[in-house]
Amino acid sequence: MQLTDRELWTLIHGMVLGALFLLAFGGGLAGLWSLRPKLVTGDGVTERTPRLLIGTTVMAVVAWLTVITGTWIVYPWYRVAPPEGLDLAIQSAELKEFPRYWLLASEETAKWHEFGMEWKEHVAWLAPFLATAVAVTVIYYGAQLIRHGEMRRAALVFLTLAFAAAGIAGLFGALITKSAPVA
Amino acid sequence: MDNSHAEPTPIETSPVELKPNGPVAAVFLAAGIASLVLGLFVVLNEFSPDINSFLKFDANFGLGSGVGPLSGKVALAVIAFVASWAILFVLWRGKEVDFRRVLIASLVLVALGFLLTFPPVFLAFES
Repeated sequence: MQLTDRELWTLIHGMVLGALFLLAFGGGLAGLWSLRPKLVTGDGVTERTPRLLIGTTVMAVVAWLTVITGTWIVYPWYRVAPPEGLDLAIQSAELKEFPRYWLLASEETAKWHEFGMEWKEHVAWLAPFLATAVAVTVIYYGAQLIRHGEMRRAALVFLTLAFAAAGIAGLFGALITKSAPVA
Repeated sequence: MDNSHAEPTPIETSPVELKPNGPVAAVFLAAGIASLVLGLFVVLNEFSPDINSFLKFDANFGLGSGVGPLSGKVALAVIAFVASWAILFVLWRGKEVDFRRVLIASLVLVALGFLLTFPPVFLAFES
């Protein structure tokens, strides 16, 4: 039982970082949602602020790591061109080594690239920008965030948008990998 | 002594000096600007073969290998994020700004980013 380099990196990109992002999002969402004067005491704010700070910071860092590993490590394996002479119109075993071209070789699978991958590779990059804004808000205000309802709500909106962007990318990543794995 | 029923500490209600919102507004707007820049280059990449060639930062500037024009699109978006954040931070440091307006502008820019990175939209500009 062993993993190839490609399998290891797709695992790190999709499952390790993806699971961390999901966990951090859950913590960040719960923390920001409940950070209201009528819901928490002074002790409660003191107790949960570090957790909120860690959750949102981890989410931002993980978002950056996910898109960087995806773009510069996994994506080149996906789009590498096959050698000349290989028939690009038949989904052969040889062509399976070149996922982008394998998907495009059949009308039944072409949309996974033309829609799925084209959307995934771009929309994913919105997540780190949005998640960074949330993390900076929490780092800057700390426990004071409970007094800034407008900031807290803005952070919640950006956190949710970051999750939506990452969710679209993650979903298509999983579906495309199922159809044409880079490993 | 059992403290399990101790009275919870209420939130401090006395006036305290709140931090100005400028630095946070700066990062929100920077995120919006970066989203728009990404979307614009996604569209321009389809629109012009020259821009498509320019955006291959992996081949042109050694930014990775085999990434293609995606390397340029995301590099320029990251540069836009860092640069606009730095400029806005300097401009708004220590200041209180109209955050509602900043947030609305940021959300419009982010929405444009989402829209322009949606394949049926940017592929409509394919040359």
